[in-house]
Amino acid sequence: MNRLVKEKVFLISITVLSLLAILPLFHILFSVTVNGLPVLVKGGFGFLTGTLASPGDGLGGIGVAIVGTFVLVFLSSLIGLPIAVVAGIYAAEYPNSAIGRLTKTLLQIMLEFPTILVGLFVMQIIVVPMGNYSALAGALALAIVMMPYVAVSTEEAMKEIPFTYREAAFSLGLTRFKVVFRVLMGMARKGVLTGILIGMAKVAGETAPLLFSAGGASRVYFMGIDKPIGAIPLLIYNLVQQPYKNYHQIAWGAAFVLMLIFLAIFIPIRLKIKEVKI
Amino acid sequence: MRARKSKDRGAKKIETAIETAIETAIETAIETINLNVYYNSNHVIKSVSLQIPENVVFAIMGPSGCGKSTLLRAFNRLIELQENARVEGDIKLYGRSVFEMNPIEVRRQIGTVFQQVNPFPHLSIYENVAMGLKLNKLVKSKDELNRTVEWALKKAALWDEVKDRLNDFASNLSGGQQQRLCIARALALKPEVLLMDEPTANLDPIATEKIEDLIYELKKEYTIIIVTHSPSQAARVADFVAFLYLGKLIEVGPVEKIFENPAENLTEKYLTGRIG
Repeated sequence: MNRLVKEKVFLISITVLSLLAILPLFHILFSVTVNGLPVLVKGGFGFLTGTLASPGDGLGGIGVAIVGTFVLVFLSSLIGLPIAVVAGIYAAEYPNSAIGRLTKTLLQIMLEFPTILVGLFVMQIIVVPMGNYSALAGALALAIVMMPYVAVSTEEAMKEIPFTYREAAFSLGLTRFKVVFRVLMGMARKGVLTGILIGMAKVAGETAPLLFSAGGASRVYFMGIDKPIGAIPLLIYNLVQQPYKNYHQIAWGAAFVLMLIFLAIFIPIRLKIKEVKI
Repeated sequence: MRARKSKDRGAKKIETAIETAIETAIETAIETINLNVYYNSNHVIKSVSLQIPENVVFAIMGPSGCGKSTLLRAFNRLIELQENARVEGDIKLYGRSVFEMNPIEVRRQIGTVFQQVNPFPHLSIYENVAMGLKLNKLVKSKDELNRTVEWALKKAALWDEVKDRLNDFASNLSGGQQQRLCIARALALKPEVLLMDEPTANLDPIATEKIEDLIYELKKEYTIIIVTHSPSQAARVADFVAFLYLGKLIEVGPVEKIFENPAENLTEKYLTGRIG
């Protein structure tokens, strides 16, 4: 076989294989849009703000779950982000210390840890003692899921900064704390912010950690952080198990809204947070 | 008889005058005493004892890998950023051991300009110079900060080129301008000594000439220690030259002496291009 033909065959096969790999993603985007968009259009603004309809009685709204998702993402960020960023910086600054190495290994494990186990853990330490599901428990579970993403990308972003800038910062007579938090963090901001947004997008779509922690809600928007709370993925999970046709439609609509929220967080990452030229 | 006596007295007077002149005029800015630096078990600086007078340009020259940059980084303890580095011996800044001082204080008094041109790329031109002043709380007001930034940029001969674009990113400047910005960043802290680690290695000849002119200007007020692997650069800018070879100090002296009449065979070989 002629080498030009070989090259053609190679090129065509990698193109086909790459398309196969991204096909499921397009299918998800397509089917969620085809099934969910009409529900959103039909339900109108009320679909985003209203409370859940009764079985067999129209579309109602998923406002409770949307509010719940935002509250949960906000609370879990509040708990998880500071810890995660500091852990990531620690792992980057002290890569050879025992704690630094341990942090790094633990983060890698947490990254792949089954999220349902996180939910069980939180149930044990918060839900059982408190006696009820709560927003706080849900947020803690999500924070645990979020942290390794943020910490690992923070660590990587910090480590990517060329040594010469670290030296330059130290040469200005700055303390290590100022070098790291006032100079290098600014240079790593793109990586850190990307990690934060990926973490937030990730937990906005999580279901398993919430099953035994947040409890779910569909009629009351917010009852306090010590009370159960809804979330869009949790709502979808519950609705598709119901035998009612309108619930299945609501689930598609909710899936479409969840996808929009996810994309709204993700697209800015792709469009680049003001990049630092090095 | 009388004439001879007065002549004696005159000679004596001149002698003491010379002595005091030497004592007062040539103060030692930096002195290293039996300095050794190791990276793990690798002995990179071997018993270097040097005296660097103030307000001169002191060049440390030698072939690549001879320990020039390591020696330079020992002066203001930047070497300590390397976890595996170990320093033995003493370094004195105006008679005071830098190991008895806080490294932060040492680095404020001994500024550094690096081979890799490295203004902070995420900061504006203004912020690059203001950073050290602000974070070290060396200025009391916004007004004083502005004045000091302007002063430092003027000292670094960059003000006229950037005064209308202070909020532009530093990364948008040319290589030579970026290096002068790094000099301004170091000068803003008002150091006594300025370390320059091959400051022109990555610059074109025109930018190099500007930096060298600037070095000549700056030595009136600062002691400048410049590392270079180019003997011709040392000859152009320096008052004193130290030749370092494989971590050992081979020879040190006034630039004319080293270049015209080197005492050591190795120095002559290096200067004539037979080693290096």
